[in-house]
Amino acid sequence: MANATIGTETGASLKLPEGTARGLRSVGLPLGLALLVLAAWQIAVTVAKIPPVILPSPLSIAQYIVSRWDILLMHAVPTTLESAIGFVLATVLGVALAILITYSTLARDALYPNLVFFQLIPKIALAPLFIIWLGVGMQSRVAFSVFIAFFPIVIATTAGFMNVDRNMLRLCRSLTATEWQVFTAIRFPSALPYIFSGMKIAMTLAIIGVIIGEFITAQAGLGYLIIFATARADTEVSMAAIVVLCFAGLLLYGLVAFGEWLANRIYSAEAF
Amino acid sequence: MLASPTVAPAEPPLVSVDAVQKTYPGRSGGIQAVASASLTVRKGEFVSLLGPSGCGKSTLLMMVAGLEPVTAGSIALNGTAVTGPRKDIGIIFQDATLLPWKTALENVLFPVRILKLPVEQYRDRAHELLRMVGLAGFETKKPSELSGGMRQRVAICRALVHDPDILLMDEPFSALDAITRDQMNVALSEILETYHKTVIFVTHSIREAAYLSDRVLVMGGRPSTIILDMPMPFPRPRKFDIEETAEFTQICRKLRLSIEEAHADTSAPVRPAGSEVE
Repeated sequence: MANATIGTETGASLKLPEGTARGLRSVGLPLGLALLVLAAWQIAVTVAKIPPVILPSPLSIAQYIVSRWDILLMHAVPTTLESAIGFVLATVLGVALAILITYSTLARDALYPNLVFFQLIPKIALAPLFIIWLGVGMQSRVAFSVFIAFFPIVIATTAGFMNVDRNMLRLCRSLTATEWQVFTAIRFPSALPYIFSGMKIAMTLAIIGVIIGEFITAQAGLGYLIIFATARADTEVSMAAIVVLCFAGLLLYGLVAFGEWLANRIYSAEAF
Repeated sequence: MLASPTVAPAEPPLVSVDAVQKTYPGRSGGIQAVASASLTVRKGEFVSLLGPSGCGKSTLLMMVAGLEPVTAGSIALNGTAVTGPRKDIGIIFQDATLLPWKTALENVLFPVRILKLPVEQYRDRAHELLRMVGLAGFETKKPSELSGGMRQRVAICRALVHDPDILLMDEPFSALDAITRDQMNVALSEILETYHKTVIFVTHSIREAAYLSDRVLVMGGRPSTIILDMPMPFPRPRKFDIEETAEFTQICRKLRLSIEEAHADTSAPVRPAGSEVE
């Protein structure tokens, strides 16, 4: 606790260059708060003698992760892999559908209202049906993950494609640009921020989809481990699995952020 | 006097607009944006379309650009009828409409890439154009790093890069502040000293029209027509101090009176918002 507050105060009290001080603040402050909460948790559990079945201490969870990382990793791999596959399929499907909606008024009029309506369905309720349709294997989890992840991508990408400056389109038209040129030079790059914000939401949804699938039926995966450990009142294990899940999510999110950075670099380069 | 019969008749106008009408479909017979407009522009001439917002001047310009079909009448550029978009014009809009993820130089080269012209051959021209408008050293800057006036200069370079015969400018400086606007007017007339282009310039600024133009066409009335065609007698190259002459003031007053006259008998504008173009 003491460490955390000192860590943030040094940034302000010492006369550091302004940029460094702000950097310390933006990193140190949230990190400090997180450490503070963890410390409070540790102290509360120890002082109040809360049994580990109810709430294990952060240190014991950390100890479990360090000592049994091999088991956790074994379960993390299928979950991460299935989430990634679901996410990629959702992105491809979502962007393709958005292109269809953008370029075909028939598709737009027929599809778009239905998509918006479908957004309103609590899609998690449909998870068991995917098991009936596709069995207990990986394909049902991936399919369900795609199913819940692709909506934000379609909606965001369509908005991006539609939201192109009217005068920019006029300029292209006056230069007798082809539809393909307009798409590659204008529509796609100006939709990129929309696509990536859709992808970031979809990424987290893809993981949720896989976890739900693993809750229902799986022989491996972090979702399976959580359910399995909770059933045996092994709270420490299920908490450790959740921590690992957070890191898996962070990794996948990081990959999307890296993709965004890369796309921006490519599009600001000379040729398109 | 002696030479005039041999010089005058030969050259046909570069732009000719003949009895053009524009009616947007709508309830109760549609909205008539342009009742009937006829005009000609000679090669190398700078003609302004002057009028209040919503008088159909932008619509007329878009029809000349081939971006907007005419309801009736005909338009010809360079001796061929305008039936759709064409490559021999350069357009400048009210906003610079640059690609935010591209540098100033790449934005200037945008038409070259779209028209699939050899980029390397046009790179020098793009540099030269940017230098001409006072943007040497800003080639690698992104639009977000440039001021509004600078962005509009980039847009002017972009319109000139593929060497079109005709420049169509749709209120290009009306989003800029008054000081920048004056600077842009001077810059534009300097550019045109170097690159002789035929220009149709849409504006609602009387002073701007008078300073820049060889001829000012006042549009007005409801539905609108061209109500005045007035030559600007100032010699070129023009210095900004012509604006302080009595002659300039008098011409501006005449233009203003003709606009007021056209709108005296027509009450408040009734066109729906956003219907000026498209």
